[in-house]
Amino acid sequence: MGVFAYVAKRFGLYLAVLFIGLTITFLLPRFLPINPVDGYIGQIQSRANGTLTPEAIAEMRVNLEQLYGLEGDIFTQYLAYLKRVVIDFDFGPSFTYYPAEVSTMITTALPWTLGLLLTATIIAWLLGNMVGLVAGYFHKKRAASILEFVGILLYPIPYYILAVSVLLLLAYIFPIFPLSPTFPVGEMTWPKVGMIIYNSLLPAITLVLAGFGWNILSMKALAVATTEEPYVTYARLKGTSNWTRMTRYVFRNALLPQVTALALSLGMIFNGALLTEIIFSYPGIGLIMRTAATGGDYNVLYGAITLSILAVATAGLVIDLIYPLLDPRIRHK
Amino acid sequence: MVRLGRTLAASVLGALMSTTAFAQTMTDVGTPRSETLIVQTFDGRAANPSAQNPMNSYAIWRGFRELGWSWLWEMDTATGQSYPELAAGPVEVLNDEQTKFRVTLREGVYWSDGVEFTADDVIYSLETYLKYRSQLGRVAVVANFVKSWTKVDDYTFEVETNRPSYDFQTVMGVYTWGSQFVIVPKHIFEPLGDEVVTFQNTNAVTLGPYKIKEFDPNGSWQLWELREDWERSGWGNLGEPKPKFVLYKDFGAEETRALAFVQNQYDVDTFMSPDSIDAAKARNPNVESFSPTFPYHDMNDACSYGVYINLQREPYDKPEVRWALALALNMQQVGISSMSGQFKAGALPLADTPITNPLYYAPLQSWLEELTLEDGYKPYNTNFATELNDALASQGVDATQLPTGDAIEQGFGMGWWKHDPAQAAKLLESVGMTKGADGFFTREDGSPWVIEFVIPGDWNKVIQRIGFSIADSWRQAGFNINTRQVDNGEWTTVQNTNSRNELMINWAQSCTYNSNWQNSWRQFAESYVLPPDSTDALVGNFMRVTDQRIFDIVTDSAQLPTDDPQFLENGRSIAKYLVEDMQMINLMNIPTTIPTNKTYWTNFPKQDNFYAAPYTWWSSFKQTVVNIEPTGQQ
Repeated sequence: MGVFAYVAKRFGLYLAVLFIGLTITFLLPRFLPINPVDGYIGQIQSRANGTLTPEAIAEMRVNLEQLYGLEGDIFTQYLAYLKRVVIDFDFGPSFTYYPAEVSTMITTALPWTLGLLLTATIIAWLLGNMVGLVAGYFHKKRAASILEFVGILLYPIPYYILAVSVLLLLAYIFPIFPLSPTFPVGEMTWPKVGMIIYNSLLPAITLVLAGFGWNILSMKALAVATTEEPYVTYARLKGTSNWTRMTRYVFRNALLPQVTALALSLGMIFNGALLTEIIFSYPGIGLIMRTAATGGDYNVLYGAITLSILAVATAGLVIDLIYPLLDPRIRHK
Repeated sequence: MVRLGRTLAASVLGALMSTTAFAQTMTDVGTPRSETLIVQTFDGRAANPSAQNPMNSYAIWRGFRELGWSWLWEMDTATGQSYPELAAGPVEVLNDEQTKFRVTLREGVYWSDGVEFTADDVIYSLETYLKYRSQLGRVAVVANFVKSWTKVDDYTFEVETNRPSYDFQTVMGVYTWGSQFVIVPKHIFEPLGDEVVTFQNTNAVTLGPYKIKEFDPNGSWQLWELREDWERSGWGNLGEPKPKFVLYKDFGAEETRALAFVQNQYDVDTFMSPDSIDAAKARNPNVESFSPTFPYHDMNDACSYGVYINLQREPYDKPEVRWALALALNMQQVGISSMSGQFKAGALPLADTPITNPLYYAPLQSWLEELTLEDGYKPYNTNFATELNDALASQGVDATQLPTGDAIEQGFGMGWWKHDPAQAAKLLESVGMTKGADGFFTREDGSPWVIEFVIPGDWNKVIQRIGFSIADSWRQAGFNINTRQVDNGEWTTVQNTNSRNELMINWAQSCTYNSNWQNSWRQFAESYVLPPDSTDALVGNFMRVTDQRIFDIVTDSAQLPTDDPQFLENGRSIAKYLVEDMQMINLMNIPTTIPTNKTYWTNFPKQDNFYAAPYTWWSSFKQTVVNIEPTGQQ
């Protein structure tokens, strides 16, 4: 297979994934036991102390359906949705927070989520892999067992328990970090940047600790297996140094599954945001997604999930495309 | 040299100490802590903090209705009496039909940007409400209420309503937590033309004595600053607001909040579970609950918790079944296991507050005591409060923490239903429902009877715990309960489409704050009833009441003043009909668990100092703001 065919095939698959993802995104909210228009009318009626007549409510229903693009049968709505999302990349207004635009809501929240989770995920990946590599390569030494123990200790702790423990330790017993941060507003200055970093450190440490353990264990297992490979033995017999064997022979070959895992975890950052944001009062897209899910806010759900699908699918595509560069066993032809 | 060194060291230390003594603690938002009142936001973080147009969905819980907006009339939540705020006095009624009214405004009131507030602002607001009624999300009440308006002069206007309106002051003013009629500044909105329907109104120009200083675009906090000209604001005549700054902030999950509260990071919480409050009190003596003795919490919310039953659905359409559910419920056990005994029971379908008690509960107490079911059984237990008090004492609760004398009834309620599973079984057997081999009651035809019981998920931990306790109590009595937790968003849907629902905990149609019961029970009307098998959304009457006697009373009462003795008597009759047939099982007043921290501010509203409802998310919070005092803590 030539390079062009290889890339075209992967790209075609990517588009298919996006299409299926968007279709499921459209359908899923409609399976929720929530009708946003009914919910909205219910709230208004409740506020109105029951003074709205059935006729007034019928009129309101028509207006709301027009406003939110819920007119017509489901196929008509689907076509309109695809047109809006694919061609205009427009998710319309939020149902719950009309007239706020979904794109504005996401744009405000996304940098926070990405800034924290992206950094923490990469740091956890780098640290975990380095520790796991050393623990795996020197797996017969006592120190390696200690390193592995760190992974075994951290990996099974549920994220919530870990987060609350860290919070208790570093914000309450030793109040080094704030329990509930206040992020500055207004024009960005260096002191403000410093404050944001300081306020983000506690959730970042927790995220690193939570992701760190798995990376240690998986890299260690891969490194142990790779160390036993004949080409590593051959390299040892040739007299190469430990450092060379560990980095150039073991690490490179054990790296591939870890890169895949990293790419997928980067794509899943959107989903991981919620708990962090709740526990650490951290701003981001998690809260928006939760509000949207509980309020049947179709448009916001479309926006957030579409971005998530885009991120996961793109990460998969990038991995597919760079694999041949990383793994000498894979070639375009 | 040594002496010199000591002298220098002492001087430096002294300077440091004196600096510390005068050092001002600052808040995270750069205001002096001693001048800042900090409260936990009611709804956590807002997803739309920049939306501040009160005619649409907006970030309502950031202090707008408490500090920012101002109303024609406000409610004194200690007495249930409406009083003028922007209006110069009570509304003037112009015709016998109670459809035409004249309102005179207070002169000398100014918007936060220095422009004078006049009748033109009111007229513009009314015009906009009506003109864009189908596009603006929060104008329905007023748009449906008002028919026409006329400006008389800069400080006087007249309004005609669509229906006789004996409650004009509370519809156009405040009934409980805020007004539906938020007046907007004409000079800001009018130039926008049709764009008012999408206008965000960020950094809103307001009428209250506070103006927005800053807010977090991510929705965690909003800071209000006292206007220099607060005396000429919408409620500047109420007195001087004590805090220079009020910060609404979300301190996160309850675990984090409790820790931050112990560290004096804020002054007033919202709903916090009794366990967390106990833990915080144990670690910080400045943390206080509403009352120093049981049941500790404020019980004066306008609404009460109750079990709503789909009255149109078999077998719940039978009063015997509903009574069986009520009598099988061990309310003492439920209250102790879910609320540690910190609750106030109420048998009537509304809350038992200092305002509603003399109007409804006290007059109907003897009726409740004499109430008799068809088989001659008297279901009411007058001694419920005393028995609960004794049960708590026997469980080792410190005697000093328990009420005595009249306070027992005031604390735990005037009575509730007997816990009598045998009588419940008898009632069920009378309609052909018997216990099966599995120990659970069956339907009439002998098929399994599984009751679906809907309760909130995590979003309301207090009521969630009550729900599970109720299910447990019923299960013990032989009812096969399937408890279904629903998220906040699904809650409204379940309520609105309860044709699929059987039983749910709810409070929607019990909210009665004073003599005017219409706000909740107006929805008991034929027009709101759907066929039993309809799955269409209900838009009122979520209990599916079909009692014609109640419908007639509701219709007739619309022609009566809400403080008329007959109007009140009609309300009591509705309560009687609902109770006689057990059309809903009222449980308890909503226990509003609002601990305060007196490190920086004192004189919060408490049981023995009840000058206002203690809620920071009701507009009556303005009473708190003018009554609290700084402690001097820096």
